[in-house]
Amino acid sequence: MEVACVLIPDSALADPVEAGEQTERLLRRLERIGAAVESERAGEAFFSLDGLRGLYGGESAGVLAAARRAAEIEVRIGVAPTRFAAHAAAQRETIVPPPAAADFLAALPVSTLVGRLELPPREAGSLVETMRRLGIETLGTLGAIPADLVADRFGPPGLEALRLARGEQEPLRPRHPHEELAEEVELPEGAAGGQLEHALRLLVARLLAAPQRKGRTLLGLRLGAVLSGGGSWSVDQGLGRPTASARTLRAVLMPRLETLPGPVAALRLRALGLGPQVGDQLELSVRGEEHRRRRLAEAIREVRAAQGAGSLLTIVPLDSASRFPERRAMLTPSPDR
Amino acid sequence: MTPGLRRLYVPRPVKVEADSTGQPTSVDGVAVEAVREEWVVEDRWWTPHPLGRHYFELALADGRNLVVFRSIVSKRWYRQRA
Repeated sequence: MEVACVLIPDSALADPVEAGEQTERLLRRLERIGAAVESERAGEAFFSLDGLRGLYGGESAGVLAAARRAAEIEVRIGVAPTRFAAHAAAQRETIVPPPAAADFLAALPVSTLVGRLELPPREAGSLVETMRRLGIETLGTLGAIPADLVADRFGPPGLEALRLARGEQEPLRPRHPHEELAEEVELPEGAAGGQLEHALRLLVARLLAAPQRKGRTLLGLRLGAVLSGGGSWSVDQGLGRPTASARTLRAVLMPRLETLPGPVAALRLRALGLGPQVGDQLELSVRGEEHRRRRLAEAIREVRAAQGAGSLLTIVPLDSASRFPERRAMLTPSPDR
Repeated sequence: MTPGLRRLYVPRPVKVEADSTGQPTSVDGVAVEAVREEWVVEDRWWTPHPLGRHYFELALADGRNLVVFRSIVSKRWYRQRA
């Protein structure tokens, strides 16, 4: 197997929230060329070249050229048989064919392991430092040590390092491609308090109204903000069970607003996963209120089908006390109920 | 503006004649019967893009009530529902 690694330069990843957004854009662009991507850290994407060559002239070079074009930003790309080796190859912008992989890995310094082990950076750094003190400078030296000795001296992290050094790694676990479902609202300068709650209501309504949701439920959300004073903020919120209830989403997200570190210039909401359609979920009972809500939702769907997605609008208050009338309320597409 | 969103009560340019004191005398060629109220709103004066508006609530000769304002920054006139 040949694994390609695409890296966004560190200079573009200074802001953690922007880094997440940029990574997501990169993954989607790579998915558009047919790549099944895996990414567990911001700024990096892995995919297998196998199966893609046929689409791009039969050669790996064709796939890599397509990936570079699709990325639309400056990226570094490397290829090797495992994701660890591919990451190191990408940093050097090189292609390591399978027969050369062992030599390539053997020559790498043990510091290459930092950031690639499932350890906090400080612990990984400490492990590597200990290896160096013992004279283990390269992955080749590490890989030549019997596993039981490594286990005795370094424990499970050492064994993980040994597997990486020997080029042993489990196959990629690509994510399931899904459509972008995210909304953003820009706010009057320095929005806080009640204005933020209104903005969140607006975002939830817009997210649920987005046509690409196609009636599906949400599994998790990422609430993010661009701060007026510079910088950004985000928090991931699991939902426990799939839901498309605006009330439930607001209930879990509102308390998160209290953890915002300062006034906000823009608020973002992104779906982290989509579940089954609303109609597929079992319900214990249907009360009268719910019945009316369903009839209203049906009516909304019919109007929308006949007149278009933007035909039904809801007035959402933003800052009802503002002295500037245009800041008081907005019109937004009505959500499915 | 975020795509798909539409603001309500957005100011629209309007043609206003004013006298030497700055009081509106006609709006789109319709005479002003009375100035019912006027007020000034200023905001963001601490930023490079300050907002300043001199609002007038007017009764026009054709019977309409209308709110217009003159931007203190651009010196242009706008009407606005509120």
